[in-house]
Amino acid sequence: MGAAVREEMGSSSDSRAFRSSARGPIRDFLSSPWLTIRVQIALGVIFILAALPKIVDPPSFAHMIYNYRLVPGALLNPIALVLPWLELLCGLGLVLGIWKGTCRTIVGLMLVAFIIAIAINLARGNAIDCGCFDVSAAGKSRSERLADMRLVIARDLGMLLMVWQLWFARRAGVETHDPS
Amino acid sequence: MKKHMLEAVTLTLIACLCAAAANALAGREKKLTVVTSPLVAPARPQAGPTRVETTTAETTTAAETTTAEPAPLPAPPVTKTIAEQPVATPTPNPSTAPPRTNPPAPPAPKVAPAKPLTRRFDPHPDKAYVEISGDDVAALHTSGALFLDARRTAAFSDGHIAGARSFSVWESDIDEKVKQLFAEKGEPEEQLKPIVIYCSGGDCEDSHMLADKLWGLQFNNIYVYKDGYPDWQARGGRVQR
Repeated sequence: MGAAVREEMGSSSDSRAFRSSARGPIRDFLSSPWLTIRVQIALGVIFILAALPKIVDPPSFAHMIYNYRLVPGALLNPIALVLPWLELLCGLGLVLGIWKGTCRTIVGLMLVAFIIAIAINLARGNAIDCGCFDVSAAGKSRSERLADMRLVIARDLGMLLMVWQLWFARRAGVETHDPS
Repeated sequence: MKKHMLEAVTLTLIACLCAAAANALAGREKKLTVVTSPLVAPARPQAGPTRVETTTAETTTAAETTTAEPAPLPAPPVTKTIAEQPVATPTPNPSTAPPRTNPPAPPAPKVAPAKPLTRRFDPHPDKAYVEISGDDVAALHTSGALFLDARRTAAFSDGHIAGARSFSVWESDIDEKVKQLFAEKGEPEEQLKPIVIYCSGGDCEDSHMLADKLWGLQFNNIYVYKDGYPDWQARGGRVQR
């Protein structure tokens, strides 16, 4: 038992040593302020652009949320009203660098929720317009919508990767500035 | 961690305040009711006449008599006698309320029907709506039935079935409009007349939602135009802008 713990501790300190020694060009690039600031602003702008049509036309957005068949009727309108504003505020926070840690976390959580919601409907075969950047019904065919949903998941995963980069850069920064 | 939680709560509160302010300032078409949603249809009172038999969507040749149980409110007992030949008007079969000596006269159609209806459009209080297609819709339109457009007001303004009224289920004034309709047509005889509801066809469910709402208010003869406005346009039906 003691030997197992010692071995685990040993392997843990080895991996920490490996991580700290593996400061290759990729890690440096991923944690560079040059990339981080651009990713942060791009993510913020994307969320601002996504929020505006929903803020302008909440009934259409409520309709879009309804189409997902995931939200109880009583929560439909409150979500349709508040979510776009939360997107806008987080987007502004990322662009302006205000409360960026919290905004990054909320954006990440929203993206995870969107991906899960679309994946569930894709699994159900329920072809819907995602309502991500445009809340008007596009009049597409079922197959077009299903194809779009797959693209939306890929796009959201890409944005989640951007959130991960921001988180990674922050962690790298913390480690760099860690006196220990 | 505590700082992040505090910031997240603050952001959510600000978002709620902004949403409330924007919704309060929004125009009628862009406003949402916070408490209710289009999915929440009014509960259907138990008072509705319970029909044993529904002959909607059938071409009837045999005479039949259906007697409904007395209903406290709002519909009175209804005794119906259905004629042998297919009904040539969109109004439900002549209804005779016991206290009356003459059945209420159906409203004069604006345009005489070009051909008799191929189907009967009987009240169907046991179900919220019956889906119908273009031919039946055209026949009902010709005979002056009430048409409700469940699409958004902007879409309605771009073009709608001639004579239709805008009843968008996603806009905040839907309950007001439904109440107004009930005030206009709350009489039991009126509630038995056919109402056609349509939206954009395909997988559009707005018309079904509106039908549920109206059914909850004892409108017992509602038809959903399943192919909706695009089909109407494709058929060359009369439209208004």
